[in-house]
Amino acid sequence: MAAVKTLLYLVVYPGLLFLFVYSTFCEWFDRKVYARLQNRMGPTHTGRGGILQPIADFFKLMAKEDIVPDRADKKLFKALPVVGLAVVLTAALLLPLWHYQPGASTFNSFQGDLIILLYLLSLPTLILFLAGWASTNAFSIIGGTRVLTMLFGYEVPLFLAVLSPAMLAGSWRLVEIAAFYQHRPYLLLVNLLGFAVALVCVQAKLERTPFDIPHAETEIVGGTFTEYSGKKLALFRLMTDVEMVVSAGLLSAVFLGGFGGGLILGFIQFVLKTLFVIFLLSLMRALTSRLRVDQVVAMAWKYLAPLAVLQLLIVILVKGLVL
Amino acid sequence: MTDAEKIDKAKALLGGRLIESANPALRRVFLTVAPADLRASLEALKTGLDQWFLATITGVDAGDVYEVLYHFGDTAGSITVRTSIPKAAPHLPSICAVIPGAILYERELQDMFGIVVDDIPDPRNLLMPDGWPEGNFPLRKDWTYERPKEIIPGGKA
Amino acid sequence: MKFQIPIGPQHPALKEPISLRMTVEGEVIKDADLRLGYNHRGVEKLAESKSWIQNIYLTERICGICSHSHATCFVQGAEKLLEIEAPRRGVYLRYLVSELERVHSHLLWLGVAGHEAGFDSFFMYTWRDREVVMDILEMISGNRVHYAINTLGGVRRDLDEAQKAKILDGLKILKARSEYYLKIGAGEPTFVGRLAGVGMLSRQQAMDLCTVGPVARASGIARDVRKDDPHAFYDEVEFDVATADTCDVLGRAVVRIKELFESYKIIEFVIRNLPDGPIAVKAPRRAKPGEVVSRYEAPRGENIHYIKSNGSDKPERLKVRAPTLANYAATIEMLRHGFIADIPLIFAAIDPCICCAERTAELVDARTGEERIVRFADLRRLAASRQAHSNKRNVAWPL
Repeated sequence: MAAVKTLLYLVVYPGLLFLFVYSTFCEWFDRKVYARLQNRMGPTHTGRGGILQPIADFFKLMAKEDIVPDRADKKLFKALPVVGLAVVLTAALLLPLWHYQPGASTFNSFQGDLIILLYLLSLPTLILFLAGWASTNAFSIIGGTRVLTMLFGYEVPLFLAVLSPAMLAGSWRLVEIAAFYQHRPYLLLVNLLGFAVALVCVQAKLERTPFDIPHAETEIVGGTFTEYSGKKLALFRLMTDVEMVVSAGLLSAVFLGGFGGGLILGFIQFVLKTLFVIFLLSLMRALTSRLRVDQVVAMAWKYLAPLAVLQLLIVILVKGLVL
Repeated sequence: MTDAEKIDKAKALLGGRLIESANPALRRVFLTVAPADLRASLEALKTGLDQWFLATITGVDAGDVYEVLYHFGDTAGSITVRTSIPKAAPHLPSICAVIPGAILYERELQDMFGIVVDDIPDPRNLLMPDGWPEGNFPLRKDWTYERPKEIIPGGKA
Repeated sequence: MKFQIPIGPQHPALKEPISLRMTVEGEVIKDADLRLGYNHRGVEKLAESKSWIQNIYLTERICGICSHSHATCFVQGAEKLLEIEAPRRGVYLRYLVSELERVHSHLLWLGVAGHEAGFDSFFMYTWRDREVVMDILEMISGNRVHYAINTLGGVRRDLDEAQKAKILDGLKILKARSEYYLKIGAGEPTFVGRLAGVGMLSRQQAMDLCTVGPVARASGIARDVRKDDPHAFYDEVEFDVATADTCDVLGRAVVRIKELFESYKIIEFVIRNLPDGPIAVKAPRRAKPGEVVSRYEAPRGENIHYIKSNGSDKPERLKVRAPTLANYAATIEMLRHGFIADIPLIFAAIDPCICCAERTAELVDARTGEERIVRFADLRRLAASRQAHSNKRNVAWPL
């Protein structure tokens, strides 16, 4: 019975199927918000209000011709989209989505899952770099190097910002952090600065405007994805969507309080909080213009990293003086 | 500066090099010089009359000669420097040393008229494709265009 | 590691085929080269075999954005050779369209600049407001892109009082929106961060390379054919030549937005002082032998046509120099030692000409095969009713 249950966890909820549906819904939400902010309609045709458009896009791409360049590293080129998707799906399993009781550790919730989650979220970046490199296209290689260059900028501030609330809660386990803030909601205000820093870093990790530098269309065509088409591109796009959900889930778990109220209420809370985070990300996307890669690294070390350290200092002071 | 003043100044600057001057319309001055004097004349006009802005170079197929017109513009109208070179030996000195912005117009002149611009810094084709057949210069009056026979790839002959 | 990346002839940053070959080392451009000719159509040769009146329509099709500027430049020169003079009202209407075209071209450019910088919201907003001036142009001329309002000896369509009022109404909206764009263009930190200090072209370089239009004016060279060589009514109307001395892409953007305000002033002047009388005179078929240099300030800079006539009904030679060509030499200079990320911005900053598509107004009924012309407002109503029924399956298209 336990095996069936685990299988259900992996494939149906909150595994593959749920993540597919929810991440395409989040993409639709993001596209719609972005479009309305730009005075456009956004998707309208497939389903009510175009809600099925990302799914239609996914299946359309799956049916398209799949081309592997002659000079590419073929095995790597073909394996990367699958590995990338697997990594983000694994990361999604660690989100405190339905398992909100702090107690005995299970395969998807244990002491230190926050760290594992952060590292699993770093992997897609490396996969994108490898994808660009394996394509052996001038534009892809430039895109790949830009991915890595940006990584050096935002990774440290992101880790610092996400780890400081955990320090305040005194636990490396997402469920326990959530439970800690559920009991003391006023302490969430302490972490506001870290939330802002983490939002910017997540935007950079997801490669969205103003950080869509690795695939800046008007500069380097498709960037890392220039040579990808058909099924592989569809998987990469799904990977980006799931990554967005996981990042939003991580931020909402760490910065936006607990998951009380049982399965149903907890689920509704999860959806509302992730949508709120995605709304903020869309807002940032609509209001800014693309930066240059040197400007990103400069900004990350001039502003984001010091602010993250400041957040750490605040947390230490609060922990030492108030609690 | 009025047109008459401009012509007087140009006469003083160019001296014997000025073959002819005309003022056919308001703010339009035409000066004629020999091709050998071209570079020196333009240099004199640039320093003495502030003619740094070369609007374009026009080539005209005028029977036995090619007329080449250098159109300048300033804040009081335009000056055109005209020179003619024989069709038999169409050689023209490059003026890029005086006015670097002339390079594209000189390349265009080479493409379109087959005028050889001596000492041009960059002699490649500008508009014509790389495989353009030798000796075809579209803006010469004796050149006519023949549409190549249309071949449909994979179609019937 | 040095390698060459091809920007074009097909590239998302380019709207028309041109090939920029960049030698890059990492993110830094070491050398740039330009290859033209992908879109060469032989207009100058063709013009020699067309009559004067046919050539208006040929020159109009040189460019899809500043179509009016080439046609006007040609007509200006041809009228001198034909020894006719357009009546005052005709001249006013001709240059009214010129200024409206400048407005639409600059708004288009602002959007493109936003898009190239990855600021798509700016692009969407400017292009929405550009529709106001496009509607005005369509009202005056009947067309959105190729206005075809010029004819030898005047213009082809007149303006009535109601249309004048509509233009003034449209101007009010455009003015308010342009103020907003000036605020964003010169104030939004990420946007300014991308534009400032990019594509530097010093005043001396701009002079050496014979740049024209906003590129020259942003390097502090106050040259404008409308001021220097005033044709039509430009010596009567008060306007300033907008300049900037930052010598970068930001300066070019600011110059263009400032020029919008100058154009609004000129349009208002034309509407308020539009003289009465005929709009065109009859033109002879043959021109006298002679030559003429015609200059015109297009939205992208000075446009110059050299027209030579041999006394027949066709020109002997028509030389066209579009403003974009004059700025190419400077573009290569600007691209050198920049970043890859700046290529689209620098190239877009000279506003290379792009072609536009037209809008179709004829609908074919799917069931009856009947064709009819539908007004835009009706189309909108239809779309709205379709939207309202969109959840029902197999809904009949309400045409």
